[in-house]
Amino acid sequence: MKNIIYILFLISISITAQTKYITKSGTINFEASVPSFEEVKASHSVVTAIINTANGEFAALALVKGFRFKNALMEEHFNENYAESDTYPKATFRGKISGFSLEKLNKEKQSFLVNGQLTFHGKTKQLDNTTVEIAINDDIIVISGSFTASASEFDIDIPKVVRSKIASNINVSFNFELKKK
Amino acid sequence: MISRKSKRNWLVLLILLVLSVVIGYQYIYQNHRNIETEKAEYILTPQTISDEFKLDALKSEKKYLNQTIEISGTITEVNENDLTLNDMVFCQFNNIVNQTIKINSVVKIKGRCIGYDDLLEQVKLDQCTLLK
Repeated sequence: MKNIIYILFLISISITAQTKYITKSGTINFEASVPSFEEVKASHSVVTAIINTANGEFAALALVKGFRFKNALMEEHFNENYAESDTYPKATFRGKISGFSLEKLNKEKQSFLVNGQLTFHGKTKQLDNTTVEIAINDDIIVISGSFTASASEFDIDIPKVVRSKIASNINVSFNFELKKK
Repeated sequence: MISRKSKRNWLVLLILLVLSVVIGYQYIYQNHRNIETEKAEYILTPQTISDEFKLDALKSEKKYLNQTIEISGTITEVNENDLTLNDMVFCQFNNIVNQTIKINSVVKIKGRCIGYDDLLEQVKLDQCTLLK
């Protein structure tokens, strides 16, 4: 009896395993502004993200050169001196949303915890129990949230001259609207 | 009584000061690159650039990253701010894409290469404009 249940369980997994939701135009914003100095803020609007709704596995990829700043010189410095986007052109996240199931979702935002690895500037940081909000609307899964990261965690050295103008805790927020593939 | 000579020195100093402020301001608040008016470094098809990235990502990144590229291909997907050519090259526009252009039509696009997306298996361009 136990075996039959186990086999049925396996079959049900393999049936739903193909369900993937994807977006090509997710957004990520980060801000490291310090009051009374010029804002240090960038946004990215073509982030790719995929979720496997069968097991909650989630992956996102942003091409670093796609981060746009208001100030052109700041964008140049970000790419050349900090993110070194010629050498490290990708920022990625791979992880799993705990307790995820498509049936649980509804129009109201619900909080879930996500664990995984964030890679940027060639360094990988473990993100543990980061809260994300998930809702579903007309078969579009909306995942949003934010976290803070510091430049030193990713081996980015901020020169003394500008250290007072860039916040050490960088606020990162994201929003993905994933459609069934 | 200020002599004429020192008066002139002050004037020169003032001009230099104003000049350095102006140059400094222009440097700090310089304009963004305008991909639309830049001449393309490479003129390609979706197939060639996609093959190059699949074959040797590192070499292709060195060659194409941040470069202005012209690509001709067939539209396979159109969204509000982006379109995809031959399922291989994703083109992001700053402005809303003209919605009268249809899937399967052949277009020529100019944009800046920002890299290869492993999840989509597509090359990505941003700041695109439609040439024809």
